Amino acid sequence: MRDPVRLQAEDFSQDDEVTALKASSQCMGGIATFLGCARDFSEGRSVSEINFDAYGSMALAEMIRLREEAIQKFDLIDARIVHRVTTVRAGDNIVFIAAGAAHRGPAFDACRWMIDELKKRVPIWKKEITSEGESWVTEHP
Amino acid sequence: MIRVLFFGPVADHIDTREMNIEFSSGMTLQDVVAMITAQYPTVFDIVSFIAVNQKQVHDHKTQLSDNDVVALLAKFSGG
Repeated sequence: MRDPVRLQAEDFSQDDEVTALKASSQCMGGIATFLGCARDFSEGRSVSEINFDAYGSMALAEMIRLREEAIQKFDLIDARIVHRVTTVRAGDNIVFIAAGAAHRGPAFDACRWMIDELKKRVPIWKKEITSEGESWVTEHP
Repeated sequence: MIRVLFFGPVADHIDTREMNIEFSSGMTLQDVVAMITAQYPTVFDIVSFIAVNQKQVHDHKTQLSDNDVVALLAKFSGG
């Protein structure tokens, strides 16, 4: 079973991640997931590729902290966070988050919290490659 | 030696991902900031955070130790 928090270039399987989450306990009544994927359009421009850069060791440490905080804050049974750091095309997977709890409320809340916090706290940057050139995204919507 | 790392937009802005600064006793983060600004005057236009040994530091009077790693970080855009 792969680590619950990972930064990796290769694609991930949502099914595999949920299977791994469920394997940790049969007490989960609710599992909420978030999948972030690459869009082909941003701020009026057609996007052909998105390139990610990361301060790898700091990003991974922060994602591990995020997962631990989420488990504590929302009384989760388990959680998983996977973020790709590579170049992706429209439609490709970027980030996956899963939160498992006894009930659906905390699972939903934790899932949203984790992606919101990841965007604020984890040192990862994305650059959009468009027909008009390349530009780093500096705001996190 | 103080190792200074740059990533993403900051690295592209100054066309470098890493530089080394000779450590001297009593050196502070402000000293490193001043040296980097002297070499790359516009870099702090896009730097939002500074990390020392992977922890965000807000106080530029923070004393550094030999072999510390400083990273200049733009606003994050992961996820």
